[in-house]
Amino acid sequence: MNPIADRVLNRCQQLGAEDAELYVSRGTEFTVRIYKGEIESLISAESRGVGLRTFREHRVGFSYTSDTEPDALDGLVDEALLNGRYNHADEANVLPATEPAAFVSGLASPALSQTDPQRKIDFALEMEWRATTLDPRVRRVSDAVYSDGSGQVEIYNSRGLRAMYERTVAYGVLETIAERDSEMQSGFAFTHGRDMQELDLAGVVREAVENAAGLLGARPVPTARVPVVLHPHAAAMLLGVLASSFSAEAVIKGRSLLAGKIGEPVAAGIVTITDDALLPEGLASRPFDGEGVPSRRNDLIVNGVLQGYLHNTYTAVRTNGRSTGSAVRSYKNVPEVGVSNLVLKPGELSREALLARVDNGLHVSQLTGLNTVNPVSGEFSLGLTGHWIENGRLTKPVKELTVAGNVIALLQNVAAVANDLRFMFAGGFCGSPTVLIQELQVGGL
Amino acid sequence: MPLLDQSLVDSVIKRALRSGADFVELFVERKHNQSISVEESKVQRVSSGHDLGAGLRIIHRGTVSYVYTEDLSEGGLLKTADLAAQVGRRGGGRFAFGEMLGAPHAPQRIEVPPETVGAEAKIELLLEADQAARAVSGAIKQVAVGYGQSAQEVLVATSEGVRYSDARTRVRLMIHAVAERNGEIQTAMEAPGMQRGFEFFDDTSAAEYARAAAERATALLDAAPSPAGPMAVIVGNEFGGVLFHEACGHGLEADFVGKGSTVFAGKIGQAVASPIVTAVDDGTLASRWGTLAVDDEGVPTRRNVLIQDGVLVSYMYDRLRAGQQNHPVTGNGRRQSYQHLPIPRMTNTFIAAGAHSVEDIIAATPHGLYAKKLGAGQVDVTSGDFVFAVTEGYLVESGRIGRPVRGATIVGNGPRALHKIDMVGNDLKLAPGTCGKEGQGVPVSVGQPTIRISELTVGGTGVGPGGAMRQ
Repeated sequence: MNPIADRVLNRCQQLGAEDAELYVSRGTEFTVRIYKGEIESLISAESRGVGLRTFREHRVGFSYTSDTEPDALDGLVDEALLNGRYNHADEANVLPATEPAAFVSGLASPALSQTDPQRKIDFALEMEWRATTLDPRVRRVSDAVYSDGSGQVEIYNSRGLRAMYERTVAYGVLETIAERDSEMQSGFAFTHGRDMQELDLAGVVREAVENAAGLLGARPVPTARVPVVLHPHAAAMLLGVLASSFSAEAVIKGRSLLAGKIGEPVAAGIVTITDDALLPEGLASRPFDGEGVPSRRNDLIVNGVLQGYLHNTYTAVRTNGRSTGSAVRSYKNVPEVGVSNLVLKPGELSREALLARVDNGLHVSQLTGLNTVNPVSGEFSLGLTGHWIENGRLTKPVKELTVAGNVIALLQNVAAVANDLRFMFAGGFCGSPTVLIQELQVGGL
Repeated sequence: MPLLDQSLVDSVIKRALRSGADFVELFVERKHNQSISVEESKVQRVSSGHDLGAGLRIIHRGTVSYVYTEDLSEGGLLKTADLAAQVGRRGGGRFAFGEMLGAPHAPQRIEVPPETVGAEAKIELLLEADQAARAVSGAIKQVAVGYGQSAQEVLVATSEGVRYSDARTRVRLMIHAVAERNGEIQTAMEAPGMQRGFEFFDDTSAAEYARAAAERATALLDAAPSPAGPMAVIVGNEFGGVLFHEACGHGLEADFVGKGSTVFAGKIGQAVASPIVTAVDDGTLASRWGTLAVDDEGVPTRRNVLIQDGVLVSYMYDRLRAGQQNHPVTGNGRRQSYQHLPIPRMTNTFIAAGAHSVEDIIAATPHGLYAKKLGAGQVDVTSGDFVFAVTEGYLVESGRIGRPVRGATIVGNGPRALHKIDMVGNDLKLAPGTCGKEGQGVPVSVGQPTIRISELTVGGTGVGPGGAMRQ
């Protein structure tokens, strides 16, 4: 057993904790930022930290530290127990029953640590160079970053749980500047995978360049109610906003749009949403959650009907349900309820066929201000950039517009989903295809 | 207790210099956090934690390498110094670094260190706020209140011999009220905070802030959906300053300027705003959320006028960009923690007070939106385009405040909006916030008096200006 866990759990027991759980996190980071063919900065580091939950008379105590010297570990125990004294007693505060989680292969790529750092630097250099040579309107890059990391999680508890996994992630981020006369537009794109070899260099360059150049000449248009097509990334970000409403914690606290709606139609019939922590291509996949409960696939909305909520051990006990393995946390936080890989199921239509259904409407490539959405009322009014759609084709670029509505009404107005599923980090690892919304209020001139 | 033994600091820097680096900097941080939350009128969580770590920055001819560690033992730090030296030998460019200027200020004075106050007193405060909010109206269905404190000590030591430290203690209250009627839900929040000790609560009433949040959430139940379209927008004081912070402030940070990725690059001495606009970033203000004795590079903070009477006067620099752009340092080099590189950041940023009272501004507006409180927002620094949520808004008709509206956002372009500011109020106030950039969050103040922008696009679900607006 880990000597840190040994020391901490023993002290918890000596000082009267009925139960205790130690979450140990270790990570590595490598980040290189390129500017004009030179390394602007390079970060290479290892870090670690531990978080402790104690249980005494159904009161939970919590404390964390990045200092793992013996004195600091003893202090960690004392502080957690002290904190616990103030918390209200709740019989739902328990550790989960210990259940072994199956090994999930492929989460950590051994190639990551074996790749020569110079090749990672070259990747970022190549990204920047290609981005400035693809289109005459794009001659500058404001950000070119390659970054990767590995994270190792260990959980030990007084019920005999000893669980560990490791996973890796790598990504490239590119932001270009397109210019014409005095106008400047930026274009952002990213690529991600479990190691450098999985990154799509050509794709990220093409997208960052197209996104910037395609916006040159963008103007607002008059206020209107029109059909709206969401690019997979814009749709995935909205899915990220909806994510908190699937949490049973949000339901219990009256902060979910979906409270009391199990078994009811909450979305159009073509909408199916799952949260699957075992999804092979999901970068948020893991064998078990932040409390050590084995991961599983959770159907949330099937053919428009709400199936259930996501639970950690606390919300499960409190509602006489079962944990869905949805405890999310870092060592600095207690386990809360959250999504892993949240996916809006793609349909059969190609993106082109979906666009062909729109004679006069708006294609949204990027939404801004998602942090302004009210997760309780579901009302949103977001800034956007994109293109006008005429007879199924993207025409003039538009900006300084808002699109407004309500998240629930939006779900009910989904008219079509395409087959071009794409993922991005938006709270969880969210995936969506291109989505057609029947009609939305667009605010402009 | 010093963060790190002086001789160990010296030997780590010496060790890292062996690689032939032009510059070495050691940043050591110790931080203690405590947070308490009350929900459903019960203490849900008391939690606390310690962060302790160091970051070592090495510059070889313009190339910056950074290594951080939680292992502050002699062996651990020397190993880190070796690693930093090893990853650092890749530079090819020219090296220049901003010179240190001025002497450090004293750290903020703390009368009652919050870590010396037991959790009982803090819980009492929260329960009082909870009750005050619930007493406002029967519509208040949920109240969540929280208390947070942090005490951060930093040490900056460089190969030039700089040895500066700072201590930053912050306390903050968070109140979130949810009102519900006939299935309709509205929320409001208040989050006052200062760089002070627990004495902050001697003159700050948690119950008053709680009532304000609960009253606003309740009032929003009667609000009509906001109309959409272009109109005059009066932006309220205090947190309304987030608009300037996001839409202009970031564009004045020297890293964006150096890359030419902001519309404000190359515009020093030019009129970038209406002549009634003066804007300042001031890291020296007593007790403010973004105040620092020295920044996270050890540079003493200053009052930096950014825009004077509409003319662009200065950008905000960290040492690296000051050196590259041949400009004196401004004390804006900041980082979230020892795990992050310092970059140019704002401290306390605000539009200076003008001549008009709020009443004058409203009376002078025939038709528009009074965005009394703004919520979150976002900006594209390159194009300057921004979007903000209006969390408390009213229609203004014939110089009078009309009915409340909900779900409004304002969108526009920062540089163009600056030119369209046609009235500046006399009610300057600052508010605390956390600013995010490149994945790093740092505490800042935003602020402004009430201002009027002659035209912005308002987004909302209501009928456009041709319809409901005239009713």
